[in-house]
Amino acid sequence: MRVMMLLKADKNTEAGGTPSKEHLAEMGKLIEDMAKAGVLLAAEGLQPSSKGKRLRFSGGKITSVTDGPFTETKELIAGFCMIQANSWDEVMAWSERFAAVEGNGETELRPLFEASDFPEEVFPAEDAAREQALREELQRKAGKAATY
Amino acid sequence: MRVMVLIKANRDSEAGVMPSQKLLEDMGKYNEELVKAGVMLAGEGLHPTSKGKRVKFSGAKQSITDGPFAETKEVIAGFWIWKVKSMDEAVEWIKRCPNPTGEEAEIELRQVFEAEDFGAEFTPELREQEERLRREIERHNA
Repeated sequence: MRVMMLLKADKNTEAGGTPSKEHLAEMGKLIEDMAKAGVLLAAEGLQPSSKGKRLRFSGGKITSVTDGPFTETKELIAGFCMIQANSWDEVMAWSERFAAVEGNGETELRPLFEASDFPEEVFPAEDAAREQALREELQRKAGKAATY
Repeated sequence: MRVMVLIKANRDSEAGVMPSQKLLEDMGKYNEELVKAGVMLAGEGLHPTSKGKRVKFSGAKQSITDGPFAETKEVIAGFWIWKVKSMDEAVEWIKRCPNPTGEEAEIELRQVFEAEDFGAEFTPELREQEERLRREIERHNA
């Protein structure tokens, strides 16, 4: 299973402060351990919502664009990592290590959709094959780029 | 700059209603355009929160709650990561996006942190570690 671990925002992340050197080093160590164990697929941090936007859609059209910041801090996310694990127990074990580094906070763990979750009648085999080809193209491009 | 595009959940996505073949096809075409333009870096859909968990931590204490989570409008149903020149370019791409849920929907655009956004706290050793990790992840994914 692939699981997305969403780190919720708080007053500090929304205020735009950057973490301490010690915190960055500890998080770097955890991420390195995840990568070495072969579970890490991606990990990124998001800038405060003050640098973001919200868009509303209705009937296929954008009906409003709102610039951040957004006030409901507890429901915003500040970063995420995506992991590949064999069980919830394995996911929870990594969550415990993550909690030990972050100290206080909240994460939300959400399994990702896989092509096999869609029934054949709405996602036929040829469409699944096209998606697979697209993923392979993405990986080729990512491998070529020196940085993102 | 990299931008994370968060697609908010709604009643249907939370109820586990799967997208129609038409929406899957429209989204597939849109994704192909994004990849061809070199804009798309990643994109995934998330199962409803009924299959997820929340972990609260405070010091050494943890509490774990199984989904579903009630505040539907604030949970996410999927995301992309795009490489664009500006937020305006991201908004231009959004204008071409098929309505992700087929009904009222909301999308949040958030700028992703880059190494240069961190000051001296992000030491040369830490930067090197991050570069090494990105290469290792690419190898695992290949």
